[in-house]
Amino acid sequence: MFYLSLIEHTLRLPPHLLHLPVDEAIKSELETLFLDKVIAKLGLCISVYDIRSIKGGFIFPGDGASTYTVEFRLIVFRPFIGEIIVAKLKESDASGLRLSLGFFDDIYIPVHLLPTPSRFEAIPNTRNQGRWIWDFGDAEEAQSEEPRFVIDGSDPIKFRVDSVIYPSIPLEQPENSKPFAPMVITGTINYDGLGPVSWWEEAEMIQEDE
Amino acid sequence: MMSGEEEENAAELKIGEEFLKAKCLMNCEVALILEHKYEQLQQMSDDPMNQVSQVFEKSLQYVKRFSRYKNPDAVRQVREILSRYQLAEFELCVLGNLCPETVEEAIAMVPSIKTKGRAHDDDAIERMLNDLSLIKKFE
Repeated sequence: MFYLSLIEHTLRLPPHLLHLPVDEAIKSELETLFLDKVIAKLGLCISVYDIRSIKGGFIFPGDGASTYTVEFRLIVFRPFIGEIIVAKLKESDASGLRLSLGFFDDIYIPVHLLPTPSRFEAIPNTRNQGRWIWDFGDAEEAQSEEPRFVIDGSDPIKFRVDSVIYPSIPLEQPENSKPFAPMVITGTINYDGLGPVSWWEEAEMIQEDE
Repeated sequence: MMSGEEEENAAELKIGEEFLKAKCLMNCEVALILEHKYEQLQQMSDDPMNQVSQVFEKSLQYVKRFSRYKNPDAVRQVREILSRYQLAEFELCVLGNLCPETVEEAIAMVPSIKTKGRAHDDDAIERMLNDLSLIKKFE
């Protein structure tokens, strides 16, 4: 969900921006500070919407820069538990799915939140990759060459937000570990209407036939 | 509760006292806002793509792709219509984003509209969905 959040922030305007008009310089500094950053409980900052007021401009002793208190609005992305979001498949392996929105891709659907029953079909000669198949319907059909309910990334996937965490920044990261994710969404697709959108278009078509 | 984490973040970004007033935006509203901003940048410079951050570009891509309503008047109407139905801001936005076609779908997407005591019987929800579908027809 996108929100417009009103924020008050005190910032130092670095000297290299002093040649610009104040509001431009402040906008630039706000964008540097906030864009594409996650603030816990606020979410991922997408864009500065507007600046409502700028106060201050005082220079503190010993400092080459002026300090301003700015009131402004940010567009942020902050998912809530229970929200239904459409995303694209990014990765699929034995531990589940990883989805992406393009601007945010730390979304995971773990195995236990896939529709039941589901099975994993590994792709040979790849490191742990494969596709997930929902074994819905009669056994024969599900085991056929081209099972109907496959998750292969060919269409967008609707999921429900199960949890959102904001891990703290680790002091040290072992080499070759995954890059730090400041916001992680865990989702589920184990409900009617969730999963690849084509699964449910087919369901509608079946109803019309009957 | 989470004060430890907040202090940590406050130290990094030096957020003093923030007062937050959250107002939800539908994907189609975000699309109009970001598109407008992109056009402003285009007027100011020859190479707007240089000016926009990755997150801006990708967000614009996403909201344009997953907006049901493109026309600014239609977008305004969606909010107007949904606002008549005593919905919480987030409920309004989820419905505006996902555009359920049936009452069952609507309740599945936003279960809170059916909690006890709220004035949303199936008829009211049906009327709301009908009003929304009329906007799509005239877009």
